[in-house]
This record gives sequence, C-alpha cells and structure tokens, in this order.
Amino acid sequence: MKKIGLPRALLYYQYWPMWQVFFEALGAEGVVSRPTTPVMLAAGSSRVVADTCLPAKVFLGHVLSLVDRCDYVFIPAVRSTRKNVINCSKFLGLPDMTRAVIPECPPILDVDIDIGKGKSQLYREIYRLGRHFTRDPLRIRRAATAAWQSYHEHRDRMVSKQLTLSQVMDETKKPAHVATARATIALIGHPYLLYDEYVNHRLVHRLEQAGCRVVTSEMLAPSALSSAVTRLVGKPYWTYEDEIVGAGEHYLGNKVDGVIGITAFGCGPDSLMMDMVRRQAARLKSVPFMSLTLEEHTAEAGLVTRLEAFTDMLHRRKKES
Amino acid sequence: MRISLPHMGKLYIPFKALFERLDVDYVIPPATSQRTLSLGAKYSPEGLCVPFKLTTGNIIEAAESGADTILMPAGNGICRLGYYVNIQQQILQDLGFNNVKIVKVGVSDDKLSGLFRTVKRLANNASWFDIISAFRFGLQKLNALDEAERSTQRMRAVEKVKGTANQVLAGAVKAVDAAKDDRELKAAKRDYAAQFESIPQKKNVRPLIVGIMGEFYVVLEPFSNFDIENELGKLGVEVKRTTFVSEWTKFNYFLNPLGVDEKERLHRAASPYLKRDIGGEGWESVGEKVMHHRQYDGLVHLAPFTCMPEIIASNIMPSTKENIPVLTVLCDEQMGKAGLITRLEAFVDLLARRRRTKYNDSERKH
Repeated sequence: MKKIGLPRALLYYQYWPMWQVFFEALGAEGVVSRPTTPVMLAAGSSRVVADTCLPAKVFLGHVLSLVDRCDYVFIPAVRSTRKNVINCSKFLGLPDMTRAVIPECPPILDVDIDIGKGKSQLYREIYRLGRHFTRDPLRIRRAATAAWQSYHEHRDRMVSKQLTLSQVMDETKKPAHVATARATIALIGHPYLLYDEYVNHRLVHRLEQAGCRVVTSEMLAPSALSSAVTRLVGKPYWTYEDEIVGAGEHYLGNKVDGVIGITAFGCGPDSLMMDMVRRQAARLKSVPFMSLTLEEHTAEAGLVTRLEAFTDMLHRRKKES
Repeated sequence: MRISLPHMGKLYIPFKALFERLDVDYVIPPATSQRTLSLGAKYSPEGLCVPFKLTTGNIIEAAESGADTILMPAGNGICRLGYYVNIQQQILQDLGFNNVKIVKVGVSDDKLSGLFRTVKRLANNASWFDIISAFRFGLQKLNALDEAERSTQRMRAVEKVKGTANQVLAGAVKAVDAAKDDRELKAAKRDYAAQFESIPQKKNVRPLIVGIMGEFYVVLEPFSNFDIENELGKLGVEVKRTTFVSEWTKFNYFLNPLGVDEKERLHRAASPYLKRDIGGEGWESVGEKVMHHRQYDGLVHLAPFTCMPEIIASNIMPSTKENIPVLTVLCDEQMGKAGLITRLEAFVDLLARRRRTKYNDSERKH
C-alpha cells in the first residue's frame, strides 16, 4: 500500500477529513505527521531564509519529519476556492519551495486547486492526482465525491454542535459548558494558528482553563461568514477572507464578550485583514478586541500575561454591566 | 474635482501630461521624502510592506495639498496590492479627509478599457479622440524618460567624472517634463541623446554587469531602495534591468490582450524550479536568475520586507543549477544607507574576483 505523507500544518487543519477519505478510497494510506515540536520548527526554519513566515517554517518541519515515513508527500497548491479570489503566495509556491529546500523529500503530489479556471480544469487536476493510484476514472470520481461529502459533514458537525477543531479531532476533549463559562471569547485567525498548540502556546486550552468558552470561525455557517464579509468589505479578495474578516465582523456584532485576533508575524494577507477587523472594533466600541502576533520568538510568559490581563478585563467589564 | 496620484519613480510626468492635455485639474504630491515615509509608517498597519507605506504617505500628502480624487493601482495580483485601497481609504477617513476618494485603476482585470473609461469619467467626458491622443503623448514621455534612464545606467559605469550622467539625466527629465507637444519632446530627446554621447568616457574598461530585479515598486522607486542603481554606478558597475514602466505598459495594456507575453520567456526559464505564478514578481525573479546567469556578473534582488512572493523566490533561487551570485536586499523603513553601501561594495568585490578567476581559468586552458 502506498503511503501518502500529510504534513499536519497549514491547510491540513481545514481539509484533513477530505484528504484522508480521498486517499483511502484510492487504496493508499495517509500518514499524518505528529503535532508540532520545537525540533520540527527548528529543522524547518534551518532550511529557509529568515523572513519566511512561521506557518511555512512549521510546514517544512512537518515535511522533514515525514521524509522517511512515506512514499509521497501531498502538497496542494490552492489558488482559490471560489471565483475571483486569490490566495497567499505561500500556498501557491509551497510544492516548488518544498522541493527546492528539501531535496531529500519523497516525490511531491501537487494539485492545482483553482476554481477561477472553471470546473473542468478542477476535475482534470483531481484526475491527474488520482492517476498516481489508479487508471480507473470512475474510481477517482467516487473517491473525490466521498471526500467532498466527508468535508461537508465535518463542517456541518462543527457548526451544529459548536465544536472547535481540537474537540472534533480528539473526542475526549469536552466543550466547556456554556452555562458555567464566565465569558465567551471569539478567536479569529487561520486554523493552522488556532489549533497548532505548540505555535500558539496552547491558547485554546488556556482560555478554557480560565473559564472562557471559545468560539471560532468554524462554528459559523459559510453563508453567515460570507454575508459578514460583504457587510464589511464588499467583494472578498482573499480565499480565506471568511476566517478573518467574516468571523471578525460576525463576532464583533454578536454577543461575545471579547475577540482575540491571532496572526503570524509577517503574514501578508493577515496584516491587512486583521487591520480591517481592528478598525471595525475601534469603530463599534462594543466588544473588546486584542490582537496577538505569533512568531518563533514569542515567549510563553508574555503571551500568558496578556491573556490574563484581557480575560480579567472582560470579567470585570461583565460584572460592572 | 482635483486629481492626484502616488509617486513611483518619474511616473508623475506622463500623468501630468495626460491631465494637462485633457484639461483636468490636478495636483502632484510633494516628492517622496522622509516625511512621506514617516507619515506612511505611522498610519499603516505595522506588518505591511514599504510600497504600501510610501504610497499611503503620498496619498496623505496629496490630500493635504487639496486633492479629492486619487488614482491608485489595484487588481488581482495575488499580492496585497489589490487590498491596498480598502485600507488606505479608511486611513484617510480616520484622518478626517472624508471627501477624498481613492479610485482604483485596474492593472490586471479589465485593463486598458477600464483605464480609458476611468479617465474618461474623470475628464468630464472628453471625446475619445482627445483621450487617446493624450494617452499617446503621455506614453511618449514615458518612453523618453525610460530611454534616458537606460543611457544613464550605461554611462554611469564608464564616465570619467562621476556624476556627469546624473546631471544629464536630471536635465533630460526636466526637458521631457517641460515639453508641450510632440515637436518639443522630439527636440528634447535629440538633445539629451547627444549629451549622453558626449560624456567623456574611460578607455578600455569592461564594467561588471549587475542585473536589478525583484518587486516592481521597490525596483522602480529610487527612494525605497536608496537609489541603488546610482550607488552601483558609483562603484563602476553597469546596471541592467528588464522592468521599465514603459515596457510594462506596452505589454500589460496593449500586447498581452493580443496574446503576446514578454514574460513567457522568464516563466519558461523558471518553470523547472517554480511551476506557477505565485503573485507579485516572484515567478519572474526566479526566471531572471535562470535566464541571465551567463549575460550578467551578478544580480541584485530587491524585495520589500514581508513581501510573500519574493520570499518564496529567494527560497527557491539557491537551488537552481544555473549559478550566479544573487544579493537579496530587503527594503523597509528601518533600512540604513551605510549598511546597504557596505553590502554592495562587498558584493561588487566578490563579482570582480569571480570574473578574474574565470578569466584566468580560461587563459590557462589555452
């Protein structure tokens, strides 16, 4: 059985059910790298120029940890998931960059996801990917359909049961009870920052320990997100604008006690999108907003202090009102 | 209504000609200065790139000088450029310039027709004939300026007295700017061509050739890169670059829609290492390295700090088998001139030694 390496980084957090189902249906086995460790990050950042963003360094660390464990590494180049939007260049350059900086990497399965080019092009790309495992187009089609369905079931489940991704991935983690929560905090950011516990110093866990209920963009229906984007900026520009601008605008106007925006240092799209959310928060003056920037040198103590100050402020604010 | 636009190199000159021909009220913001940068850095989100900060500074200064309509490029370029206007408009509002509107000028979507329509709307519905003839005149000025720049790049390396070529360039820019019609423009062109030719040159020198490439704005705006071409010229290096606004306009607005793509050669060269467009000029940067590794002695790769496409490119470039020294220079508001010059001197020394060894090696073989 062919082993496909799936680095637990970047888009994995969004699409893992889809990828797993697709490769399994084609008779391959998905090998997922273990959660991020300091060694992985150090290995990843040793390969690239210093300016490369944290998520990309983490990603390369995961690929390095998979080098001896699989026959292929799956690295999609996602340009757009709907018409007339574009994605950050790191997603487009990822397969080629990985090949350049990790020469020992097993063959890379890259697939161009660009809805802007039309459906037939997308189907052709999926077929090109499936061809590595079977020559039967019907089987590839069935695998793709099953993958698509599993993705939607996964998304629906997160929306209907109000689960964070870590709760979906690990059934033992129970959501904090709504009634007992002292405050509800919305975390705005890309899933690869919110759910990578090493990178964000167990942010979600810490907030839950402090008696807060955490809500994220995954708990919102896609329609709610896109209408929020339209309200704030009109036509979306980035592929993952929903996660930041959509969720930010939605939660700022919807009965949460505080909003925390998480970005990686030097992130291009986020530098603009988070600023949009920040400005909106400043304009509305209804919900406190804090922005946290993560990078390799982020010290845990500093992060914890800021979180404590923020949650304390929220609790006091609630008591007073 | 009073139109303005942010600076990029000498781009204001052709636009000035365009506005004057169409009888539109306009104001050119003060030349990009330290104040522009400080204003931009102060009001921009911290993680943004230097093109955003400088254009924001220009826009604020334009608003201060009384402009109420500001042209700003925008389009789906995979980089942040397409999102600039959204934030810049809000920055202006927060500063109290409520009646200043930023107009997006398409650089990728509907291109020429969109640009024409925008200008027609702003020019009180001038006739198409006037618009096209004004455009043509603006383009000619643009070509004349770029021609002068090319000559300067060549002459700086070989001039006997340092600074002569720069003086001629300054005169040429002034003359092109002042030209009122085709006849005067032609005279100005003839004039500066003769002046460039008469610059006293050193004999028997074969200057090092360094290619300048990278992100469009920092390559073309001397303020953002400490006029790196001039610094290289002072070190006796001939600078070459493929990015010129006139070239870009020619292809982007006129030839690309007809299916002629000047970048295709660069893309083909890059494709063994980078297969797809990653936005900005990332793909072209890799292509330049692959394509010019024989013609040039070295390459200077200019990129704004936190520019995603160029970071990807600079990660990919070391792995190409085509071997040519590349110096990546990141531009931002923290950059210091002395540091840059030291790096350039070291780089040029390296290139000179490399050429000497190459020359000696080939001598020995004979």
